[in-house]
Formats: sequence, structure tokens, C-alpha cells
Amino acid sequence: MSVLQIKRRQEPLFIWGSCLIFLGAIVLSLGISSLLLLIQDRPPIQGLVLLFQGAFGSRWALEDCLVKAIPIFLCSLGVAIAFRLQVWNIGAEGQFALGAVGATWIALNFGTLPAPLLIPLMLATAGIFGGLWGLIPAVLKTRLRTNEIITTLMLNYIAILILDYLVYGPWKDPVSFGFPMTEVFSDSAIVGSIGATRINWGLLLCVVFGVMVWVFLRFTRLGYELKASGENINAARYARLPYERLVWLVMILSGALAGSAGFLEASASLNRLQPSIMVGYGYTAIVVAWLARLNPLYIGIASYLLAGLRVGVEHIQLDLQVPAAFGGIMEGLILLTLLAGSFFNHYRLVIRRAP
Amino acid sequence: MTSEMLILLMAATIQSGTPILYATLGEIITEKSGVLNLGVEGIMMVGALAGFLAAKITGSPVAGVLAGGLCGSLLAGVHGLVCLGFQGNQVVSGLALTILGTALANYLGTPYVGQNAPGFYPVPLPVLSQVPVLGPIFFRHDLLVYGSFVAPALIWIFMKYSRWGLGLRTAGENPEAGAAAGIPVVGYRWAGILAGGFLMGIGGAYLSLAYTHIWTTGLSAGRGWIAVALVIFAFWKPGRAVVGAYLFGGVMAFQLRLQAMGANIPSSLLLMLPYGLTVVVLTLASMRQRGDQAPAVLGVNLEPRD
Amino acid sequence: MKKTVIVLLFAFVLAVAVSPAAAKDLKVGFIYVSPIGDAGWSFAHDKGRQVVDAMPGVTTSYVEAVSEGPDSERVILNMARKGYDVIFATSYGYMDPMLKVARQFPNTTFMHCSGFKLNANMGNYFGRMYQARYLSGMVAGAMTKSDILGYVAAFPIPEVIRGINAFALGAQAVNPQARVRVVWTKTWYDPATEKEAAKSLLDVGADVIAQHQDSPSPQEAAQERGVYSVGYNSDMSSFAPKAHLTAPVWNWGPLYTETVEAVQNGTWTSQALWPGMEKGIVDLAPFGPMVPQAVKDMVTKKKSLLVTGTETVFVGPLRDQAGSLRVPAGAAASDNELLGMTWFVQGVIGTTQ
Repeated sequence: MSVLQIKRRQEPLFIWGSCLIFLGAIVLSLGISSLLLLIQDRPPIQGLVLLFQGAFGSRWALEDCLVKAIPIFLCSLGVAIAFRLQVWNIGAEGQFALGAVGATWIALNFGTLPAPLLIPLMLATAGIFGGLWGLIPAVLKTRLRTNEIITTLMLNYIAILILDYLVYGPWKDPVSFGFPMTEVFSDSAIVGSIGATRINWGLLLCVVFGVMVWVFLRFTRLGYELKASGENINAARYARLPYERLVWLVMILSGALAGSAGFLEASASLNRLQPSIMVGYGYTAIVVAWLARLNPLYIGIASYLLAGLRVGVEHIQLDLQVPAAFGGIMEGLILLTLLAGSFFNHYRLVIRRAP
Repeated sequence: MTSEMLILLMAATIQSGTPILYATLGEIITEKSGVLNLGVEGIMMVGALAGFLAAKITGSPVAGVLAGGLCGSLLAGVHGLVCLGFQGNQVVSGLALTILGTALANYLGTPYVGQNAPGFYPVPLPVLSQVPVLGPIFFRHDLLVYGSFVAPALIWIFMKYSRWGLGLRTAGENPEAGAAAGIPVVGYRWAGILAGGFLMGIGGAYLSLAYTHIWTTGLSAGRGWIAVALVIFAFWKPGRAVVGAYLFGGVMAFQLRLQAMGANIPSSLLLMLPYGLTVVVLTLASMRQRGDQAPAVLGVNLEPRD
Repeated sequence: MKKTVIVLLFAFVLAVAVSPAAAKDLKVGFIYVSPIGDAGWSFAHDKGRQVVDAMPGVTTSYVEAVSEGPDSERVILNMARKGYDVIFATSYGYMDPMLKVARQFPNTTFMHCSGFKLNANMGNYFGRMYQARYLSGMVAGAMTKSDILGYVAAFPIPEVIRGINAFALGAQAVNPQARVRVVWTKTWYDPATEKEAAKSLLDVGADVIAQHQDSPSPQEAAQERGVYSVGYNSDMSSFAPKAHLTAPVWNWGPLYTETVEAVQNGTWTSQALWPGMEKGIVDLAPFGPMVPQAVKDMVTKKKSLLVTGTETVFVGPLRDQAGSLRVPAGAAASDNELLGMTWFVQGVIGTTQ
């Protein structure tokens, strides 16, 4: 008789093995999705082709997905910094909202400034607003021992309602027939596109911030201390900054990055502020950060792939007439199989003769 | 506000707190075993659909609640499979479950939108419902509300005094020592996940069978997330979960009534009340409490042993 | 023999060439803001799409649950890239993204619902729902005993505010004592919260519940309390047969078929369409059995006056809540004033924020 046994690998699988597992998980979940299509009398192969085309198949597809990946990447980068210290910041959504509010405040009041002055000012304000919004739960956590998961989650709802209040009230555009949106930003407050593409210059921001975070986490002493203190609170005692300050720092950075995503969405994508700017990137960011194991480069890849999935599913929807929920099912399946698959990075199954 | 309106507000508080209470209790059981399940929202959605469909097919609301609970367990079982079976990250798995559950309920539920199913209606309890003030507040509800009065106490007794409760807590507090003492820690975690999913499913079914009696998609509308937050608010204690759920439901019901009475306050600001109050109350409570009372190894997977 | 084959072949080619199947089907795309499973706004639009889909020489498709942010631009763009001839975008927030795309695709026809911007190839459309709202207000005003009408409303935007005002004016026309109390839920679609909002209105004495929400749960709240209700979007009487007086309803089919026909015939021109009851875009659902004949007659009479255009809803003197004169006596509110309405008429209790 044989027995299936789980063995821990001596060392985690190297990159090719991980890729293989990744591919295996993708194939499995795409297989299940095809079955779903088949049940609905839709051609599964065509569905997968559409998905692939929509995500990678053309210049347009690459553009569309990059545009969508930008805010996810920035939020996720922020979330990853906080998670390094094991501070559970669920609040990227709210910090994103406050960043958008901050940038809009500048754009509405100083719209006449020239772009080279105005754009950095908007970015800085968005970062400060998002950072301060992140600082609230940090201070509550360190000073009053309030759990950050609940405070960041509640502050998300409050931030969105603040945004609502502003666009329904004081900031409502007088020429939009009373609809809840601010007036269109002046030209100098709008982050433009790169050449003739749909991609905005926010992509450059992503690269800069991505490299900065990578260097910070990997090569600076503070970055190392974050990781060490997160894994072992006792290590924090030997850090140069007290644990309290570390928590504040990561939450400010985390919030600032999410805030910068809010600035980009308002300025580059919508050219104004309106409630529909909130589409849940802050929550998506958590998934992406975890999948990418908090590594900036992987976060970039994961952001793009997730954006590709969402864009590609729209094509399936349009051409094959499947409901929008199909995309959610597919996304959920892919995430779950990926998670389950990563098991094999660390473990292997051994078939052994029973004694 | 007249005293009669105050009584109506209290009664509404209990009703709107009930689905959140069931879900919060479910999450408490799950987390007590050391597993964090952020998929409450998705599980509630599926529970709502399953409850509705089962009640519609069998004609029995009780069957609906059971089906809601069972399908809740089933979806939570996916979380168990990924996290306990495959050592997957609990945070991501939970978030993925929310995405999957919400989408499944929309996908499968769309053909039934706008249809009715037999559900629960208020059953005033004899004698008790006639007690002034307390009667109309507590004893003129449906059976699921009465169930939610009993459930926290039962869970508390179970956790505190039963052998199984102890096993469950061991799985969340000190699994290594437990395993060394021969306690089937992984089994307890499975039990925590499935039992918790059952209660979350009932919370969802409450929405489609008792709160409203019409099926529409998206019934949960964020209540699952509130439940996740309230677990922390309750310091993992069933009794405090009752306070949290009613506080939240009560403030929600209160702000709507403020509007109905003609309070001239922007609705965005009024809607902030329940969320802001939760933070304030939690902060006040945390200041007096030592530590946050979370199970020691919450969210940490157990190494499979050779 | 050879000749016959050629003749036959020729006839075949001719037949193929002239038969409608050979002509390129007109591709019509729709974009919805919510899943069509919401039973409300998008559901009503999708019913209109189904009418278009049944037209000869037309195929339709849709994408649902498209957020009004940057995602909508991509969806519209992809429809245009894929060669859709007519694209309907059915939510206000799609306006600017659609305009951007319309400028890039001059040969595609774009139609935007509920906005105000136009382009050579982009028109807009909406329905005068407030007419039906006014009529439903008359019914509510006649049926109330407490003179308090409850209104569960989603978001304080002009469309909703306009509807509430029309409802209040209709109620006051038959019952000057009638007051409308408004509760905002800040959600189009959360059945449990909508029901709770209705209950809060019932608790302050409302005995007719009207709604600008996508789920029928406020109707249910009214029936459970044994009072009356007015639905929205579609006939909601099946949800609350004892309470449901009537409902202002959407019927997009005629407008959609007319537009698509115009594109097919090459007669389409860019304009702002705002039809009302005269086109059947909006209507009143059948009265419930509890509505007395006298009320039915009165409402039907007013309806015919609105249909012929003899009378309109927003005629002066109209004062806002603070008492200042917004529409002077003898005048009627212009379409632009209606589109940008952000104030409540007197007799409405609630805030517009």
C-alpha cells in the first residue's frame, strides 16, 4: 500500500519552479472558466482567445491594461510597505480618496499656476492628505492600542463620504446641471498622455516610486529594520527608530502612495473629481501585494496581470454576452488556485510505501 | 422624538443588527480557531441566494435557512481547503472568496431577480410581547431574531465550558502545545471554519428571507465587512458582538430617522455616524483593555508535519 | 445546361446581394452602470435593448456593471474599435468619456442618456419622468389621510430632486396640506437599507411611500405596515399588491428602435431628445384596486393634458423651501432649469445635500 506524504522542501523552489506552478494554476482556473462558458453554450476557446487578446493581444490592449494597472500598482506598493512591518493597513481605499481630494483642492484653487509648478504641488498635497489619513490609525494604534484593521476599514467609509460631501456640496460644478462632480481641471492641472498613446505620465511615477521603494526596502538600514521588526517585535528594540515611529512612518508612506494614485486618477483619467473615482483599487491592492510577496517588481507584474484579466473579461462580455459576474468568478478562481498552487513552492508530495 | 418612535427605533435597531450579528458570531468562531476569514461578504451573498432558492423550491423558510447555512459552510470550506490544505495565505484567500462569492451569487441569482419566496414574518411571543416597552422592542420579531438572542449565549457557554470549545481555543492560542497534547488542531480549525461559515450563511439568508422577502442581487451590500470589523470591536467575545451589532444597526436606523424627521444635515455627514462611532467606541474600549485579545496565532497557518 | 447554371448562379448572387441577410447587420452596443439583475434602471434599459435586438438587420450586445470612472472610456472605446455602429451609454457619468471617444470615431453614432453634451455624431436623450411622477403624486395626495408622504430617494442629483418636486406638486394639486418627507439612502441599490429608510418614514407618520430606488423593498415596507405605496421603474404591484397604488415607469423600447431605424435609414442627426408621455417613454403603471374611480378619472384627465402638451408640470408661481420665488407666476420652468434643479419646492421636508 502506498501513502501520500507531504514533505517540506529543504529550500523553496527556485524561480522556474515557481513559474511552472504559476502556469499550472492559471491553466487550471482557465480550464474551470472554460467549463463555465461551455455550460452557458458559449465557445470556450474563443472566450480564452478574447481574454488573451484583450489583455496582451494588441497595442491597444497593452495600453488599456497599463492605464488600469497604474493606480493598482501605486496602492499596492503602499500596502506592501505597511505589511512589511506587519501593520495591517486595509485603508488604501480611504487614503486613495483623500489623495484625490487633496489634489482636487489644489487644482480648484490654484488652477492658474503653470503645470510644472501645479502638478508637483498636486502630487505633494495628495501625498500629504493620504499620508495624514494613514497617520490617524497609526497614532490610534500606537498610543491607544486600537486595532488598525478596524480603524483603517472604518476610515475608508468615512473618507469616501467626505469625498461625497465635497462633490455633492461645496465643490459641485455649477455648469454640470447640479451633478455631483467638480468642474473640469484647468489644462495645467491635468497629467497628460505619453505621445499618442492612452498611457499617462503616471507610468513614469510608478517606475520612480517602484525603484525608490525597492531600494528603500532592500538597501537601506531602515528598510531592513522594518522587515526585522515586523517579523519579531523584539528586534524593534535594536532599531534606530522606536517601534512607534516605525509604525507612523510606514503608515504615512503607505497612505502617501495610495494618495498619489488618487491624484493620478483624478488628474489624468477623469480630469475632475467625482464619486465614481472609487472603484475599489484599495482592496485590489491588498490582493496584489500579497500575491507579489510584497516585492515591488512582482507587484508591477501582478498589477498588470490583474488589470489584463479585468480588461480581457470585458471583451468576453461584449463579444460572447456573458454577465459581468463571470469576470468575478474567474478572478476568484484564479486567485484561489494560485494560492493553493504556491503550496508546492515549499512542499512536495512523496508517494511512499507504507511500512 | 416621541417615546413611541423611540420604541420603534429600538425594534428597528434589533432587526437591522441581526444579520450583522449572525455574521459577526460566525467570524468570531472562525477566528477563535486561529483562522482569519475575510470572505464574510461573499459567504453572506451566497447564503442569501441559497436561502432564497431553497425556500422557494421547498416552500419552507426553515429549509431556506439551513440551505443558506450549509452553502455558507461550503464556501467557507473552500477557504479551509486553500488555507488548511494548501497552506495558502488567509488574507488573500478571504479576499478572493469575497470576489468569488459575490460573483457567484450574481451569476446564479440573476434569473430569479424580483421573485418572491416564503420567508419569516414577525411572530409575537405570547405574554412577553405584551410587556410594555420591552415587548414591542424585543418580542415582536421573527424566529431568526429570537434565534440571534439565544445564539451568543450558547456560543459563549460552548467556548468557555465545553471540551470542544477548549479545543477550538487551543487551535487559535497555542496549536503547537495542543498538537503535542494530542488535540486534533487542524480538525478544530476545520470545525471553526465550517461552523463559522454556517452562521455567516444564516446572516445572508436573513437578508433574503426575513429582512426583505424579494430576491435581488447584492443583498449584503457591505454588511460582511462590517462584521469583520465588529469582531475586533467585540474583542472576540460573543456578548460584546451583540453590543457592536446593535450599536451599528441602531446608528444606521437612527440616522435615517433623523432625516425622516427633517433634520437639516447633509446626508453624507449623517452616514458617517455609524463608522465614526465604531472607531470612537473601539478606541475608548481599547484604552481600558489590555492587549487586543486576539487569538495568539490568528491568521497563521500550521506547518504540516511529516 | 451551362446557361441554366449561369443563370441560376446569377440569380443566386443577385438574391444574396439584395436579401437583407447579406446587408451588413447594424451592430448596436449598450453600456449599463449596474448588473441588469438589479431589477431597476439598467433592467429597464435592457428591456429596450431586447426590443432593438428583435429588429431585422440588427444585432445588439451590452456590457454591464461598468463604473462611471475611467473604465467607461475603455469600454466605449473598445465598442467603437470593434465596429459597433450605434452605442448607447445609459448613465450620466459616461458623458465626458463618450465625448472623448466620439471625437475619435466620426462614423459611429453615439447616444448618451441623461446628459447634455452634443457632438456631430453624439446625441443625448432622456425621458420626462417628472410627468409621471406628478401624476403618481396626485394619486398619493388623494389617498393620504395623515397628509405625510414618505419618499425614499437615492442620491441628491437633479433627476431625483426633479422627481420629488413633481411628486410634491402633484400631491399638493389635489391636497394642499400634503407634505413630502425625504430620506436619502446614498445608494441606488441596497434593499435592506431602502426598506429601513421606508420604515423610518412610516415611523414619522407617512402613510404613502414613494421611491426613487431600484429595489422594490420600500413597497414591501408599506404593505407590512398596511399603508399605500408608489413604485418606480416598472410595475411593482406584484411585490405589494395591497399597497401599490401605481408607479411611474420607463419604457425605452420606442426611443431605441426609432434611433436605430434612423441610423439604418441614414436620417439620424445629432440632437437632444427629451420625450415624455406623448412618446410613451414614461408612463404610469395600472392603478391598484384601492384607487377610487374619481381619482383615476382626475389623473387620467391630467395625463391627457400633459400628453397633448396643453399643460406642463413646473408652472409658476413656484417657491423653494426657504420661500424665495424660483419660477414666477405665469411662467414655466425651462428645460435647462429642470435639468439643473437642485432645490426643493415648498412642502418638501428634507435637505438637498
